[in-house]
Amino acid sequence: MTTAPNAAPEGAAFERRASLVADLRFVLLAALALAAFPFVLHPIGGYAGLATQILITSIAAVAFNLLLGYAGMLSYGQAMFYGGGGYVAAILLLRAMPQHPNLWLAVLGATLVTAIMALLVGAVTVRLYGIYFALLTLAFAQMVFFIVEQAKDWTNGDDGLQSIPNALLPIGPWNVDLTVGLPPVDLGPFGNLGDIKLWYILAAIALIAVLLFTRLLIRSQFGEVLTAIRENEERSVMVGFSAPLYRLAAFGIAGALTGLAGALRACYDGTVAVESLSIERSGQFVVYTVVGGVQTLVSPVVGTALIMYLENVLSGKTPAWRLIEGIIFVAVIVFLPRGVLGTLLNQREKNPRSIFRRALRPRTEEPEPLLRPNVEGRRAGPLSIIETSKLGKLFGHFAANHDIDFQVDPAELRAVIGPNGAGKTTFFNLLAGTIAPTSGTINYKGRDVSRVSGTERVHLGIAKAFQTASLYPDQTVRQNCRLAALARVQGPFALQVLRRSTRLDDVDALAERAMDRLELAAVADVRAGDLSHGDKKRLDIAIALATQPQILLLDEPVAGMSKDEARKTEGLIRRLSTEMTVLVIEHDMEMVMGISDTITVLHQGTVLATGTPAEIRANATVQEAYLGGHTEEEFAGA
Amino acid sequence: MEAVIEALLNGLVQGLIYVAIAVGLTIIFGTLRLVNFAHGAFYAIGAYVGLVVAQHVGFVPGLIAAPLAVAVFAVLLDRLVLQYFYEKTPTAQILVTFGIALVVEETLRLIFGGTTQQFPTPAALQGAVSLGPIAYPAYRLVFAVGVLIMIGLVWLFLVRTNYGLVVRAGVRDRIMVQLLGGNIRQASTVVFALGAAVAGLVGAAASPIYSIDPSTGFLFLVPSFVVVVVGGLGSFWGAVLGGLLIGELQSLTTLVYAPAANVIIYICMALVLLFRPQGLLGESEVIRQS
Amino acid sequence: MIASTARETRLRIAAINSYYGDSHILRDVSLEIGAGETVALLGRNGVGKTTTLKSIVGWVRPRTGSVTLDGRELMGCDMMTIARAGVALVPEERRIFTNLTVAENLKLAQVTARAPGWTLDHVYEKFPRLRERLTHKGDEISGGEKQMLAIARALLQDVKVLLLDEPTEGLAPLVVREVESVIREIKAAGITTLLVEQNLYSALAVADRCYIIDQGEIKFEGTPEQVRGDEELRRRYLHV
Repeated sequence: MTTAPNAAPEGAAFERRASLVADLRFVLLAALALAAFPFVLHPIGGYAGLATQILITSIAAVAFNLLLGYAGMLSYGQAMFYGGGGYVAAILLLRAMPQHPNLWLAVLGATLVTAIMALLVGAVTVRLYGIYFALLTLAFAQMVFFIVEQAKDWTNGDDGLQSIPNALLPIGPWNVDLTVGLPPVDLGPFGNLGDIKLWYILAAIALIAVLLFTRLLIRSQFGEVLTAIRENEERSVMVGFSAPLYRLAAFGIAGALTGLAGALRACYDGTVAVESLSIERSGQFVVYTVVGGVQTLVSPVVGTALIMYLENVLSGKTPAWRLIEGIIFVAVIVFLPRGVLGTLLNQREKNPRSIFRRALRPRTEEPEPLLRPNVEGRRAGPLSIIETSKLGKLFGHFAANHDIDFQVDPAELRAVIGPNGAGKTTFFNLLAGTIAPTSGTINYKGRDVSRVSGTERVHLGIAKAFQTASLYPDQTVRQNCRLAALARVQGPFALQVLRRSTRLDDVDALAERAMDRLELAAVADVRAGDLSHGDKKRLDIAIALATQPQILLLDEPVAGMSKDEARKTEGLIRRLSTEMTVLVIEHDMEMVMGISDTITVLHQGTVLATGTPAEIRANATVQEAYLGGHTEEEFAGA
Repeated sequence: MEAVIEALLNGLVQGLIYVAIAVGLTIIFGTLRLVNFAHGAFYAIGAYVGLVVAQHVGFVPGLIAAPLAVAVFAVLLDRLVLQYFYEKTPTAQILVTFGIALVVEETLRLIFGGTTQQFPTPAALQGAVSLGPIAYPAYRLVFAVGVLIMIGLVWLFLVRTNYGLVVRAGVRDRIMVQLLGGNIRQASTVVFALGAAVAGLVGAAASPIYSIDPSTGFLFLVPSFVVVVVGGLGSFWGAVLGGLLIGELQSLTTLVYAPAANVIIYICMALVLLFRPQGLLGESEVIRQS
Repeated sequence: MIASTARETRLRIAAINSYYGDSHILRDVSLEIGAGETVALLGRNGVGKTTTLKSIVGWVRPRTGSVTLDGRELMGCDMMTIARAGVALVPEERRIFTNLTVAENLKLAQVTARAPGWTLDHVYEKFPRLRERLTHKGDEISGGEKQMLAIARALLQDVKVLLLDEPTEGLAPLVVREVESVIREIKAAGITTLLVEQNLYSALAVADRCYIIDQGEIKFEGTPEQVRGDEELRRRYLHV
């Protein structure tokens, strides 16, 4: 097993230490910045209280960015968690502990309730995308808004809850009153130290904790997969990740953090109002985050600070402050290309996605041992690895596939060819599980997998490479392969929000092996989007390979390649077929005839003939099909 | 009984406003594939332009000026900003149109102040008409008829004119229209301006019924999206059906159990999104996963 | 390369290279079609025939090379401009507007045309079945009728070059005969035509000249007789 030429020689332990140092540095810098913040704010017209409000609100903005920037989900309903958290905390303080208002309990309770709320709402909404998702989150938020407005006994309706008891923070033997300020020391133009209440320190600690958590989350195994799903969901699903579960988890986490912010704000303000649940509030989070910048960790904090500061300063001076805010928002979207919205706007939304994904079935199959030894020749065991019986697929009235009886043996290299309208790609999609059959069955290693989802099938050992290479363009070749290997090792979903995937050695091994087999070691650290066409196609195959398949489906693997690249790739594919079953759709007849063990000819949706290359060549019906239904004899006669 | 009839009529009036806005939203989506969060702003601008012109010149000139002004605004918006977003993701489109809606709302607030304004019913149409057991405001009836006529005209435009033919073909297959030499770009701009103008006209015409304030835009935008989703994104008759349905639903719920009136439409949208996401009259997308 | 003698060249494609993303589909493809000629472009599926047609009409933009119509450069122009210059494509999927009636499909072609081609009466004469189906929606007619409609749409416009992409594909044998007869009519009317066909017999019966394309490259140019006579050629490039 070769290692890439410029791989770092240090081991995992060093890397862990290095990242720990980086995290500590981050925390230190954040702490310093936040310590200086109120003093910076003062000379320019701010005040300590504003600083506290900014910090608390930016927690919600950071949560929003987790959804938008990292998970690619635009939620227009975050106010339901923000206001929700505030109301729960307020109600807890007013009713459950008016005599001994405990901040921990209030905030913890609020966060827990909003987390559950987020999971419930998420379970229903994360199946949708784009505009539908945004509208549905908006719908739920509006429902919550109006319900709270009407439930006057609990919430006081439009008047909101006032006079929330000042919650104390029990730390050890003391009950800390956060409204107490620091010792009054005059700092000239920077204000008075005594203006800073203990609340500010709590808010700062909370924000730093949330930032650290989010930072760890992004770099964790969970975060890695979340980013991959955002970057290329189609690929992620076909590599074995469960996109809905990851989205749900992200939505739940963001909801909980937003609830935390809302609770803190309510406790700080001493009041909570219905406005905290409104569309305007949801919109505010959008504005703060977009202006600050999507997809970098601290920029939502910057955006929140900027907008809230401007609001504060300008609202006294001109009634146009909100207009200015709106103009800034539009200007940022329109003019700031890369950096702020570049990634957002560059993300091409692909073909209309399925709005519903199939529910994930529980895995009943035992996972294969991680590194199978190379198997030369055929394996012992059931003769056919995959077998279809009367397989068919209807699109409306059009039968793309019908009555397909097909079987292939382990370690066979089978080419699937056919003239126009053959239904080859549909057939592959049925085998891979990207679409479900409308009739017939598919048996894999003796088990009926007709209703098993594509994601599941990858874990069973059926992997597909795409006709148009489907990669993670912003990640390196190695990272692309590692993601696929990760899916293999961890399964469709793993809530590893703090640990990194680098601790999983098997992942690296699988990825290296896949790169080797496709001779990509030389470009291991090149960004996938920058690769040549041939390398991209080979990478697509390597990604499929990294999931350790037993059957590999290749859809036009050499399309668009130069002659030399095509020949080289052919050779690599031929070598792969010694270890696993390989099915290839191709139009390059030279290649097909050259490397296939057997060929299946599809025509008008069903199997026309199966045989060795020589047999197919000699088959008159096949020739007829290619010539549009005319035989050699007709030519001789014509 | 009287209350029910009145509620039905109110629902009709309310529903027709939604229809007018939703029709524009939906055909804009159909031709341009643009999710336009700024559509409510067209309504609001129409209302205020109508108000100003009515105050200085007359009500009817206001009804003429409003859609014209909004159409001009829409075309400028298209040329200056939106045309760069047609190929972008829906997320980007939502964000930029949302931003524009914000800017419009705040600009209106700056110019006209935040207080709500009630436009007095034009003298000729004050008073009520007796319809069986109840007396219903004359203006509202005239308004309802007017909106129905307007919707009819839009429909006639779509099905009887050459332009409408190009638009309808473009909704189905933009590429084929271009392969036949059709100017889909121009047709799209016309559709955008038309949809905006319709919203603006209704904004002005509805001002004697509903008070106007700068947040009117968003106030009507959100239910209009509900209507579009319920009816089916891209479907003309879906917008009509959806609008009337939602309008009546709101009105009748107010009668039966007022606190639920606002929530009910969102429950409705949530149900549609979950069980029939293409809407009542939309087409189910033949979707293959990946 | 055999020059089309005695006729002026109407459409010239010179060394175009077309890509789908990074995938290099057409490699230095060159073709010439003389005025009034019917030229067939043959080859298996997946080799670049449709991409060639798409490259001519601007649906796919070639990265290099040139496409000229009567000497006018079309490369870099958008689809609408090229269509209005007189290049009509009847696509493989036909692309009938399913939300419009047959009559409306025809009307649209007349509305968007830069200049009129055939009259509606002439179209009804040559495609009598369409007249019977005028009020049917686009998705309520048979495959053969869709093909007729798609061709009729193109002919209602003033066509300088007609590009037909697999007009007989997926049609029953009787309907194939009908389409073949329509293509002969078009040829008799003197319309310059580039015909992409996998149905070899159909193509050879009507073509003046043939090109064969394989894996994105032109491999052969010659007469139908040459194709008919060379079994090895057919085996290499047209079937298996």
